[in-house]
Amino acid sequence: MSNAYDTDIPDSVDPVDDDCVEPAGEACAYTEYVEGEAYDDVPATGEGAEGIERDVWDTLYEIEDPEMPISIVDLGLIYGVSVDDTDDGTVATVDMTLTYSGCPARDMLQDQMQEAVEAVEGVDRADLRLVWSPEWNLELVTEQGEQDLREFGLSI
Amino acid sequence: MAAVEELSEPGELTAEEREAVQHQLFRLADDEFVVAERYTEWQVKAPTLESDLAFSNIAQDELGHARLWYDLLQDWGAEESELIWERDPSEWRHSTLVELPFDEGDWADPVLRSYLYDVAEDIQLRALQDSSYPRIRDRVGKILGEEDYHREHAANWLERLCEEDESRERVQAALDRLFPYALTLFAPTDEEVEDRIDDLGIRTEPLVTMREEWLDEVVPYLESLGLSIDDAELPEQYDVHHNQFDLPDAVGRDQSHTDDWYDLQEDFTHSYRELGRTSAERIMKDPDDE
Repeated sequence: MSNAYDTDIPDSVDPVDDDCVEPAGEACAYTEYVEGEAYDDVPATGEGAEGIERDVWDTLYEIEDPEMPISIVDLGLIYGVSVDDTDDGTVATVDMTLTYSGCPARDMLQDQMQEAVEAVEGVDRADLRLVWSPEWNLELVTEQGEQDLREFGLSI
Repeated sequence: MAAVEELSEPGELTAEEREAVQHQLFRLADDEFVVAERYTEWQVKAPTLESDLAFSNIAQDELGHARLWYDLLQDWGAEESELIWERDPSEWRHSTLVELPFDEGDWADPVLRSYLYDVAEDIQLRALQDSSYPRIRDRVGKILGEEDYHREHAANWLERLCEEDESRERVQAALDRLFPYALTLFAPTDEEVEDRIDDLGIRTEPLVTMREEWLDEVVPYLESLGLSIDDAELPEQYDVHHNQFDLPDAVGRDQSHTDDWYDLQEDFTHSYRELGRTSAERIMKDPDDE
């Protein structure tokens, strides 16, 4: 995650809650923690994948978010992996998103992914496709991911 | 509006469709890039540490959003460097509201400017949620989700600044100066192309409707803070929503700009030129290329 707001500020903040008029001693409810919605299709986690596709998933699991010790798969950034034989050889296509549109680590992370996936035996080329819909939110973090984030010290 | 057909993939659009999509994208991308460029001038200069961090982060958001829109303009072969660092400044299509310079220390200006801009941006993005062009539609949700706190931040500061006479007067002065320029947010790039944007369903609300919606939101709100719109060089036809407003000489959308824009563009392309760059540094090719 590359934005301080990702972890603390929800997708939408109810403006009604802004006024801190609660009785003394109660925390200011400036921020409402909205978890976001779960989607049927994403994130993808590679469950049931076999062969080269399995190896691509294992490689992706080893790549961590640039700022936190959590696999990008457990963070919910991967929306799909497919491995196809084409005229150009074997192409691994990875659909992915980012937590934040202004992510300064975008190029760095994708460069790392490109290199790692192309190093998988049997893969000639990696094709990373960045998608922004559906939007990433906290619901996309896997159980393992939540555990990793808790160990890192984030409340989730 | 009658049901419109979904537009094709970038490479399959007719020349007219493509021009309409490009005009819509330049409206969005250029606004976001230039507003962010101006916001960053407040880095380490905003009045409190919190406002400094918040405003810098808002600038970063807007740069991210600009990139999402410039990405789509690259579908027709242009490189990011050509769209930003090498494009002639006279070809940019952002509203002149976002290019105006700030007076030193005049915090009321960026606060008010971001309020006027962010309310307009919200209205304009909502009119793209059901766009007939899927590549625009798919990006709107992500951006809208990152915009709410921008308006909250601006309104929060505006309310505080308007609590006392002296600071409210500064906001009023900024309002008098900025309001006519804010109206250019809804100006057409080209009347005929904008009509086509509507007819093709690339956008589901025409500019005049969005401007009306914007006025209906910002005017009562600013008045509730004790600010006066009458002094804001508001065009006489204010009550007649569909009349043309008197816009400033430089509208931006139609590629007319203030001298300040040329100075700003000179500034932010300085390093690129000095270093003899011919392309923007990218670690890898755009993964979005298909």
